[in-house]
Amino acid sequence: MSNNWEMVIGLEVHAQLNTSSKLFSSSPNQFGSEPNENVNFIDSGMPGMLPVMNFACIEMAIKTGFALNFNINKYSVFERKNYFYPDLPQGYQISQFEFPILTEGFINIDNEGNQKKIRIERAHLEQDAGKSIHDIDPKFSFIDLNRVGTPLLEIVSYPDLSSAEEVVSYMSSLRQVLMYIDVCDGNMQEGSLRADVNLSVRKKGGELGTRCEIKNLNSFKFIRQAIEYEFKRQIDVIESGGKIEQNTMLFDTSTGETRAMRSKEFSHDYRYFPDPDLLPVNLTQNQIDKVKTSVGELPQAKLDKFIKDYNVDKDIAKIITVEKQNAILFEKMISETDVKPKFIAAWLVGDIFAFIKENNLEVSSLNEKTKEITDLLKLVSDDVISNKAGKEILPKVLNGQGKPSDIVKELGLEQVSDSGELEKIIDEALIGEEENISKFQGGSDRVLGYFVGKCLKATKGKGNPKLINKILLRRLKK
Amino acid sequence: MSDIDIKRISYLAKLKLPHEKEEFYANSLKDIIKWVDNLKMIDTSETEPLHNVTEKTVSIRKDEIKKSNSVDDVLSNAPERAQNFFKVPKVVE
Repeated sequence: MSNNWEMVIGLEVHAQLNTSSKLFSSSPNQFGSEPNENVNFIDSGMPGMLPVMNFACIEMAIKTGFALNFNINKYSVFERKNYFYPDLPQGYQISQFEFPILTEGFINIDNEGNQKKIRIERAHLEQDAGKSIHDIDPKFSFIDLNRVGTPLLEIVSYPDLSSAEEVVSYMSSLRQVLMYIDVCDGNMQEGSLRADVNLSVRKKGGELGTRCEIKNLNSFKFIRQAIEYEFKRQIDVIESGGKIEQNTMLFDTSTGETRAMRSKEFSHDYRYFPDPDLLPVNLTQNQIDKVKTSVGELPQAKLDKFIKDYNVDKDIAKIITVEKQNAILFEKMISETDVKPKFIAAWLVGDIFAFIKENNLEVSSLNEKTKEITDLLKLVSDDVISNKAGKEILPKVLNGQGKPSDIVKELGLEQVSDSGELEKIIDEALIGEEENISKFQGGSDRVLGYFVGKCLKATKGKGNPKLINKILLRRLKK
Repeated sequence: MSDIDIKRISYLAKLKLPHEKEEFYANSLKDIIKWVDNLKMIDTSETEPLHNVTEKTVSIRKDEIKKSNSVDDVLSNAPERAQNFFKVPKVVE
């Protein structure tokens, strides 16, 4: 396989909106309920039932519009996309086609330090379908309609992506923004966010090739695997003299391969037309402006702020801003103490996150404990206790075993920071060390470490190392 | 007027059409379309498309959950059920 091929990728991302009720019915919009528990007569497509728009879905679309730099269209139209499938009881999906609510947006992605602007063609509201379960019975499919009518925002990018890494970076940036503005829970495993990948290949800089669409990928790993496999497959076909047929592909998660869906006798024809049950959406400027205030600070703005205003290292700031709840916890801690944000950030991504991971906790569960955490960090940064002692106490504090200052006293971890006391200890430690002292004065810095160690030992490890260092230097330089 | 692809139309409508009836239905569809095509006599080049005859905006509701029926109600019209699922002939892609 020659390596002068490149891939051209556009993504269709389906984000389930985290409303309480569905797009056009008052059934619960909830994952994990008993089969057909969240289904009413609208969802099940009973004749004569009429859809009624959940305005929260419109508001979430507008919010996304602001966050992803879209044109927010005051006028949009719901249409019927007609096809037959058992998990679509209406016989059509209500979607937006010619007049979507959002057009021409973009997002900036960062792929290992390289910035790239990915243009987004459109985003529209539509209904999700139900679920078919094929593996319970050899002869029958089982249908659960709970997901029918779940509000989806389909976000369609331009073919601006050119590697699996870029796709993953784009998808995770989208996910991050949607979670920050609280319109989608981002849970890919539960299908709250899934992607269709449109991929074609071409010789570098050449004409666009025929694309294939890989449907319904719901993890970063699968997206990466599917892209890599499909890229090779298309090149193999072309290099062995074949032609790429425009096909819809499925990704087999067990083999890591893509395959064409059973070829259709006839091509799809969705026969879109405006849904006569739903009037067009006519938004007022006031309705749009009202949403703007709820967008809040976006991940990029938070990142910039942490780096510039709080002096946090870029890599650490990135870890903190990955998830909104990290950033909330961090900012809450900053607001409650005068300990330097940089110091707090290092502890947060280090020992605090390690504790969360070890105990399988939600980051937000620590929001109640920020006072104790910052009290502890204050003791460390003020040199009342050593860094090591801080690490030792942290789990006890997070487990609610008492106030940091009490635990410090109880365990006798307080550092000796009384310079009078330390000077006495240092004087004693220097007795009989004339040889080493002259070595130091002769330029051997190594000896300093030896003296610090000796003094620390004399304090049973509780002496404040910084202070010992300082006093020692003064003494030795005499 | 374009030709009627009756096989494709019956496929899209999920209707089984006996071979000997194909011509009959193709012709009657043609007649219907010819009649609807009368609309083409009207010049609409200056007219904006209209998506709905009323000029109102879509009716909206608050994002509130209301449960109006049970699972059994929903499944009561199912040709077959298995526990709380609809049971249908196998459809696999």
